[in-house]
Amino acid sequence: MLRFAVLQLSGCAGCEVALLNAEAWAHRHHLVYMPLVISAYEMAPVDMLLVSGGVRTDEDLHNLRRAVRRAGQVVAVGTCAISGGVPSLGDRDDVRALFLAQAERRRVPRLLPRCHPIDAVVEVDRYLPGCPPTPELFLAALGEEPDFQPGKVVCQECGRKKLKDMRPRHLIGFQQGQVKLGICLINQGYLCIGSSTRGGCRALCTRPGHPCVGCRGPSDALIEKHPDAWLESIKRVFASMTDIPADELEAALHSPHLALFLFQFADYATGRQPRPKEKVL
Amino acid sequence: MPTLTFPLSRIEGHARVVIDVHGDEVVSAHLEATEIRGFEYIVLGVPAEQIAVIVPRICGVCSTAHHVASVKALEDAFGIAPPPLALRVRELLLLGQLIQNQATSLFIFTLPDRLNSASIFDLEAAACPQVAEGTLTLRALQVRRAGTDLITLAGGQFIHPIKAVIGGVTGGVAIEAAQAMDRKLAEALPLARELFDCYWQASFALRERIGTWGDDAPTYYLAASGDTRPNYDGNEIRVLGPDGALRDSFPPHQYQAHLGFEQVDYSYAGHSNYRGEPMRANSLARINMARQMGTPLADDYLARFRAAFGQPAHPILLYDLCRGIELVYALERAREILAQPLEGEEVQVPYTPRDGEGFGLVEAPRGPLIHHYRIENGLIAQARFVIPTVHNTLAIERALRVAAQRYITGERIDMELERAVGRVVRAFDPCIACATH
Repeated sequence: MLRFAVLQLSGCAGCEVALLNAEAWAHRHHLVYMPLVISAYEMAPVDMLLVSGGVRTDEDLHNLRRAVRRAGQVVAVGTCAISGGVPSLGDRDDVRALFLAQAERRRVPRLLPRCHPIDAVVEVDRYLPGCPPTPELFLAALGEEPDFQPGKVVCQECGRKKLKDMRPRHLIGFQQGQVKLGICLINQGYLCIGSSTRGGCRALCTRPGHPCVGCRGPSDALIEKHPDAWLESIKRVFASMTDIPADELEAALHSPHLALFLFQFADYATGRQPRPKEKVL
Repeated sequence: MPTLTFPLSRIEGHARVVIDVHGDEVVSAHLEATEIRGFEYIVLGVPAEQIAVIVPRICGVCSTAHHVASVKALEDAFGIAPPPLALRVRELLLLGQLIQNQATSLFIFTLPDRLNSASIFDLEAAACPQVAEGTLTLRALQVRRAGTDLITLAGGQFIHPIKAVIGGVTGGVAIEAAQAMDRKLAEALPLARELFDCYWQASFALRERIGTWGDDAPTYYLAASGDTRPNYDGNEIRVLGPDGALRDSFPPHQYQAHLGFEQVDYSYAGHSNYRGEPMRANSLARINMARQMGTPLADDYLARFRAAFGQPAHPILLYDLCRGIELVYALERAREILAQPLEGEEVQVPYTPRDGEGFGLVEAPRGPLIHHYRIENGLIAQARFVIPTVHNTLAIERALRVAAQRYITGERIDMELERAVGRVVRAFDPCIACATH
């Protein structure tokens, strides 16, 4: 029986909700601290601490540092804790100043100048990426799924067929057009990056017809390389499967509005060291 | 002048209650939201068509409501309307959200208050005579799970769903999948009723112990739900007066003319008001407006509720009982929809993106939610999120003041105050991640 705790920093609680859906742990492990569902003033010492959310306020910083001192293993859960996630889009230079100027308050915890992944502050033993990680991934992290075998990339788990003779000439918007059943989204002209995003999510976006937006981050083959290697890999896939002009793809991939790299912006913006793949589930 | 600070748990997000006392008088009671991520800024410059992927991340508990509201806002801006099958699939999405939320609020957040425990994972074995010993936690999680499974079916994934798109949905529901889901809901319904019966009785016991259902005075009620029966995909917000008479109704694009909004220095969430007065949204507002639920079991519970408390009902602990009525309704209503054809028709209409302004309204579990976008060159140039918890903030603070006054005298502060603070806040089921966004 594992004693574990969940510390939520600035985030959306989606990770916590996913954990609640993995209810198989409820009678096997002892959840000792998780303010979303348990009233407790203090976190008792635990074997494993799951941390979700980014470090956005001075209170996040304080709570994180305090909690890791009472924890055996520290697991960063979800894209906010690992790589900044969607909230770090607020750190783009053009909007950051606007946001910070209006968010000034007198009596509440102060905002830090930027939102940080937790490994910028504390040592992390394991990463559980996803926005949010699925219940199955949570169970795997808790050691409940000894036979868990994720696909290397989302493509392997998707089941849509790649067709040789269906080569789109232009990208179509995420929301445009009727998605055809059973056929690869790239064949249909969608900017899907499931070909290099790490598997384990069971392709839960692409199967019903939404392009992969890369929330699990790069696959093992790319995770220890410079972030540009991920972009290059996507370009190679599109060059071999489509007739979409290189400049059109380039513009979409590097769009200033981050149409694609919603979840890894902090990594790109700050040029951080890659994470070792053996630590990433 | 002492200041009492109460950290909050078993609510969504980070907040605390701070009460200032002078002698035997409660000077102020504030709900302080202590987190913010800045979504109105995060989305600036994002391609408008991509907004439905980003804004669910405002909140993992309420992501479905944000997903649908954002798509409706874009449809408003582009001047299109989704086909009937897409509306049925979206109703399933919103019902799944309601099941998940009401089960979470009732059984995980507030049932422990009624059974004197710190959490649902920590209950005494025989806590509830209606529910077989030792099974309450797993049953509560199973009911909640029925809601999240329904969201997965209709929305692709149960947190941050992806299947609602501008003009409709990406797909219908195959008949086998609909039948399998129906079986799950049919299993969950009796469990939900057992748990709610337990909750109902424990709530009356609580009322006996503390001597009140909540002392606060009546006020305005705000909801975008239907008046003949619930409808969470609403297009109009209605306001009831404290006497229960309809005072106002307006479409989402007129919200600024009807609802005031103020930022405050002690919280990252501001508060909104109706003509300067506090208002209440969420389950009690909807039940006060509903003529009937329109499904048999939920109507039985509604009749029981009306016989005990009348219409409109005002005490704030009744919010929790109203959630139970809605939980039963959502399970029944979802089964009705699953029995209808959910594939083989058009699921999407084409659209041409254009610049302009769009407003999207849904009745989220906590009340009317509006997404308001201005689009320039295909990019989001301005975003406003009008959040149900923010509608409730003034009412929460007023109710906290009244509760605090009950437990604070010149001589002493009754330790029951801390529990009362938790009960008052949780009755409104605030979502701080949404409120601050």
